[in-house]
This record gives sequence, structure tokens and C-alpha cells, in this order.
Amino acid sequence: MRKADYLSLSLRSLRRSKVRSMLTIFAIVIGATGITVMLTFVTSVKNLTVASFVKTGQILQIQVSQSKDLQYDPNGTNGGHGDAFASSGSSANAPKPLSVELENKIAALPNVTAVSAMLRSRNPFLSHIVYKGKQWVIEVVVGYEPNGVIAPTLVAGRTLTMADTHNEILISRPYADVMGYSKNYSALIGQKFILQTNNGYTGAGATLPNKLPPQVQCEQNKRGCFGGPTSGLPAMNIPATVVGVLEDDGSRQPLIMMPLSLFVGIYNASTPNNVRYDFQNQGNRGNNLGNNQGNNQGNNQGNNQGNNQGNNQGNNPGSNQGNNQGPPQGSGTVIGGWVRPTTTEFLTNNGGFDSLMAKADKLENVASIANNIERLGVSTTTGLAALNDQKAQANVIGLVLGALGFVALFIAALGVMNTMIMSVLQRTREIGVMRALGARRRTIRRIFTIEATAIGFLGGFIGVALGSIFVLVAKPVITNMVKAGSLTGATFTVPPWLMLMVIAGTSFIGFISGYFPARRAANLDPVEALRYE
Amino acid sequence: MNGIDLRQVTRSYQLGGESFDALHQVDLHIDKGSFVAITGPSGSGKSTLANIIGGLDRPTSGSVNVDGNDLAKLNDSDLSNFRNRTIGFIFQSFNLKADSTAVENVALPLIFAGIAPKLRKARALECLDRVGLGDRANHLPNQLSGGQRQRVAIARALANHPSVILADEPTGNLDSARGKEVIEILSELNRDGITLLVITHDLDVASHAQRIIEVHDGAVREGRVAS
Ligand SMILES: Nc1ncnc2c1ncn2[C@@H]1O[C@H](COP(=O)(O)OP(=O)(O)OP(=O)(O)O)[C@@H](O)[C@H]1O
Ligand SMILES: [Mg+2]
Repeated sequence: MRKADYLSLSLRSLRRSKVRSMLTIFAIVIGATGITVMLTFVTSVKNLTVASFVKTGQILQIQVSQSKDLQYDPNGTNGGHGDAFASSGSSANAPKPLSVELENKIAALPNVTAVSAMLRSRNPFLSHIVYKGKQWVIEVVVGYEPNGVIAPTLVAGRTLTMADTHNEILISRPYADVMGYSKNYSALIGQKFILQTNNGYTGAGATLPNKLPPQVQCEQNKRGCFGGPTSGLPAMNIPATVVGVLEDDGSRQPLIMMPLSLFVGIYNASTPNNVRYDFQNQGNRGNNLGNNQGNNQGNNQGNNQGNNQGNNQGNNPGSNQGNNQGPPQGSGTVIGGWVRPTTTEFLTNNGGFDSLMAKADKLENVASIANNIERLGVSTTTGLAALNDQKAQANVIGLVLGALGFVALFIAALGVMNTMIMSVLQRTREIGVMRALGARRRTIRRIFTIEATAIGFLGGFIGVALGSIFVLVAKPVITNMVKAGSLTGATFTVPPWLMLMVIAGTSFIGFISGYFPARRAANLDPVEALRYE
Repeated sequence: MNGIDLRQVTRSYQLGGESFDALHQVDLHIDKGSFVAITGPSGSGKSTLANIIGGLDRPTSGSVNVDGNDLAKLNDSDLSNFRNRTIGFIFQSFNLKADSTAVENVALPLIFAGIAPKLRKARALECLDRVGLGDRANHLPNQLSGGQRQRVAIARALANHPSVILADEPTGNLDSARGKEVIEILSELNRDGITLLVITHDLDVASHAQRIIEVHDGAVREGRVAS
């Protein structure tokens, strides 16, 4: 008997009981659609994370931190006390500060191409970012060495480089969005902005008078309030140029990134060495003076007066104020001049860098570099480890979803088997007739297995088609979701191998489910079958 | 060896531990090209006899030889081939495929024989012509009368040029006029050399035969031939 004839005989019987065939096919379609969509999603996400890691060079990054429980943070913008994941390390009992010295040591390690230090601040040094007369509150400012190690993901413009020494900054997408540029980020590139400081600013560019205006009362740590003996000094406008708009990392955190040098310039405040107040509040004067004086006096006797001064003032400018229950009224005179800590002093006072990011020359060296860095007494987190973790997560999701799909298909297989048993029963007499007309056992068996395989094939085919349509329709939605998760370059299409695999799989399920009913049909006694009513 | 030859053929069924012989030590020879009517009461073993001759059933003991084929020696595949090429079955209830046209029904044994589509269509149309249904080739069974359906079944039995036609009560579902038509077609085929075995209760039908075999309780004996 010819192959084409098997097919036409089998399909004819499928067509004969349309409703039953369609219901059975539908069960397969559900499973096949599910598996197609799920596996497309899982493989797309897996490829996507890999692609984005490789694209931004994050896979070569080694993040150095004091704490063991740092979240891997490729842009280095979050100080990071999130979920502990993908972190390894052997930090000493006492956290070791991330000093300039440590940075130099890491940079000197073999296979390290560069190290970028990062500082992050929520201090009220800067109050607002101003553009075209409108202003927005500044929340988090991050300074980093733009030497190419940290490569923030951008939606427009360029990243910072070492040549950016004229107040070039990056702003994050949430800023651009509230500024009304969500449809046209690139319109902000090259635009002049103003970074407005709070009153009492004494960082880079501030005029530092000998005569201090009367202090301004303010609540401790309140935004817009600088506090301290310099609180009467005016705010400053620092001009800045936006060169790039940062992709949001999913936190919708308004963020400004700038070169570390600019950051230190702004945040390393000068302090007046010794202030004498012309006009004093009776109740608090003694306290305040005594406090300040006593401290300064003691330190003045030592060798490094400036250092201590910086320490005292720099750490918490508002603290004295708060303790003293209200500022002294009236203006003051700076007696000992102004002191500005060195960068090293500034860092030491701040407990070191917030994080260091080292970059490996080659992927193979990432692990050994991380090891070497950990010998220096700090923790490391690598993009590689985070990537492996993500891959493992995607695998688990894939496994779970795949298992669900297979359960669906298993149930569909039972449906096929039921349909085929029904079909054999219903066609018992026909089987007898076919046997009388010369059909072999093998012929009967094939007719039924082909019918069952065709059910599986059609179900898989329709399922893949439906799944592809679903993916097509859902693509914009998923892409947006993924973008919000700071991953870009989504390519949600059903891979051809998956299409083939699903169709082959459902066909096979049809075959297996149809095999036993078909064998039963083939082994019917022709005489009995012919007598069957 | 030509014709049909049964030697000591017994077909037993096991019924609740007891053995029951539907056919008991039947010796029978039927000449090639003859027209034999098989009669007998219900349950006497007529269909069993025909099924064993046609290779649908196997005897419990004894030997069956049809036109030189020793059926005991054939496996399922060869026996199927034998049914396909040597035997033409005709049933009381026509047994046509309801979803297939007349020509497709007639072509079914040709499909099992592995004949190419073009050839089998030509052959199927030829067979339909032979039973006078050339103009009904594309009708479905439910678009045909009972007599026409049985003629389609005859055409189907003819498709592979069988040497034996086994008809089990072919007129049982037809009125006497349609039954007569069917018997006339069958007689014509017999005149062209096909061995014809017709199981029937109808003495009119039996009267067309050259020989009548009566089956009683699984045993055969010669019957009276109406002249
Ligand atoms: N599978 C079976 N199991 C047990 N007994 C059977 C079986 N098939 C047939 N028989 C018995 O064998 C005997 C002969 O049956 P068969 O069908 O040959 O009768 P028949 O002469 O064709 O009768 P009818 O004229 O009613 O068609 C019957 O008594 C029947 O009950
Ligand atoms: Mg009978």
C-alpha cells in the first residue's frame, strides 16, 4: 500500500468526526501554545541578559565592596543594601575602608585594566537642578572616575570621559521624564543646566568671606538646609552641561552622575577655622562657644589642626547646631582663615569610597582577579557571577514552565488516546470490512497511528502559530517590561528550532498515544469485527 | 489444484469451558467456475464455512485449499493478500464506507493492493460500469438505493479480478425485484468464470445455482437442485 494512501485514509477519518477531532486537537493546541510562548520568553530573556552584559562590558567588571552582602550593581549607582545575591568574599571582621591606597593596589594587580572609584551622596549640598527657569529636587548624586570601567546604560548622549572637566554631568531618565522630554531625550544633550546648592555652601567655587552672616535656623538634615556656622552664606549656582541621559535601573530614582573630580569639588566643603560671634544669644552662647572653642583649642595645640578641623566640621555640619538648641543670633568673624581638606582627608573622613569597580582584560581572568582582590581584605561581586546566577534563574523558570507545559501535553495525550479508543470502537465494523478486502494488520495499525500522529501534528502546528501570534502581540508589552528592568535589545521571536521541536514533540505524543489503540484495532478478529453492531 | 477443497474442517468455539463445533469434520469440494448456493437454518454454520473458505477465519483443524493456496500455510500478511486478490466478499448489509463515494469504495481493495491512483480509478469505473452504475460513480452510499449499494459492493468485490466470490445473504436486505437483479449480475459474473458461493435462505435465489449445499449443525450435505 502506498504512503500517500495511508495519509489520505487517515485524514479522511479525522475529517469524518470533525467535532471530536477538533476537540482533541484543541487540547494539544493549548499545551503547544503554552510551551511555545513560555520557552520563547525564557530563551529570549536568557539571550537578552547575556547580550546586555556583553554589550556594556559588565561581564568584565569586578565590584569591590566592604560588605559581604552587596547587590551586584553594574552602574555602581546604588550604595546597595539589597538582596544578597551573587556575592562572594572574605571580608575581615572589621570592614576595611575602600581607600585610595586600596584602589592603587587593585589597579596594580595583574590583568586589571583599570579601576574606577565611586562616591555617592544624599547630603544636602545640592538642592535643585534648574533648567530653563524650572527646578527639580536633587536626590542622589554619584561621582565616579569616568575611565571606561563603569559604563552606564544611556538612552541618549554619551558617557563621561576623563576629558570631561567642565562640569559635564549625566541625568537619569526619571529627571528627563519629569522635565517633559520622555519622547525626546536627545534634545537635552548639550543643554546648560544649573546645579543649585543650599545656603551655606563652601565647596568648590564658593566665595569664602571672613565675615560670616548670621546663621539661619533650620531643621537637621532637612533638604534645602545646610546648617552649621556657615548657614548664613548664600547658595551658589554651579553651571553644568548634560552630555547623556541614563537609562532608569527600574527604581525610578532621580539620579545625577558626574566625574569624581567634580563630585569631590562640590562635596569637599571648606570650613572656617575659628569663628567669633559679634552678637550672641545669651542662653546658648556659652555652650556653643565652649563646644567649638574647646574642640578647636585642644586640636590647635596639636600638629595637625587643619585635619581635625575638617574632621569635626565635615562629618556633621548640622550636628553642633542641633545640640545647641538653636543657632546664635548675629554674624561672626572667621579668625583662623578657611581650611579645605585634601582629597585623601576628605575620603578618610567619609570612610573611603562607596565602591570600587575593577575591570579585567579578559573574561578568563575575572575569577582570579576577584580572588586576588579578596586577599586584600574586601569583598567582590562579579558580573560573571551575577550572570551565571541569572542564567540559573532563567533555567529554573524554564524548567518549571516547561514542566507545566508537559503536564498540559500529558493530559492532551490522554485525550488523544481516548479519542483513538473511541475511533477504533466506532469503526470496528469498518476495520472488519477493510480486513476482508485485504488490509493487513500492519495496514490497519498504520492507518490509526497516522491518524493520531496527524492530531498531534495539527495541534502542534496550530499551537505554534497561535503562540507566534501571541508573542507578536505581547512583544511591545514584554519589551517595555524588560526596558523598565534596564535590559535593552529585546528580540522576542519564536526561534525556528522551538517551532520544529514543539511540532515534532506533539506529533510524537500523538503517535505514542495512538499506538496502543491502533494495535488493538490491528489485532481485532476480522470475523468478530464484521459482526460488530 | 483448482477449485475449493476442504478436508476434515472443524471450527470449534470454547463456550464456558465446553467446546462447540460450528463446523464439524467438513469434507467439501467445489469446482472452479461453479455456482453454489449454501442454505441451512440460522446458526447452522453457513457464515463460518464461507469465512473459512475466504481466509477471514481459520479452522481449528483440517485443511483448506483454494485455487492452489493452502490457507494453513499463509501468515497474516499472505492471507490478507489472498483475500485481496483471490476472494471477493459481499455482505448482507453492503458494508460500504459511508464517507466515500461509490468509486472510492470500489477502489479500496485496489488501494490495499498498492495500485497507483490513476489505474485504480480506471479499474473502479470499469467495475461500476459492469454492475450498471457508471453514472453513479461519485454518489455517496446514502445517495444510492439499497439495490444500488449492493451493486457497488459487487463492483468492489470484483475490483481485483477475484477467482472466488463469497456472498453472505446478498439479497437479505433487498426486496425480491432488487434481489433478483443482484443475483442476475452475480450469475453473469459466474458465467465469465468466477466461482460463486451464495449463502441464502431464499429458494428462488438458490434455484439459480448449479448446486445446493445444505448446512445442518456444522455438517454439510448435498441439497436438491431445482431443475
Ligand atoms: N465467536 C463465537 N463464539 C461462540 N460461538 C460462535 C461464535 N461465532 C459463531 N458461533 C456459533 O457458531 C454457529 C454458526 O454460526 P454462523 O454464523 O456460521 O451461522 P449461520 O449459519 O451463518 O447463521 P445465520 O443464518 O443466522 O447467519 C452458531 O451456532 C453460532 O452461535
Ligand atoms: Mg450467517
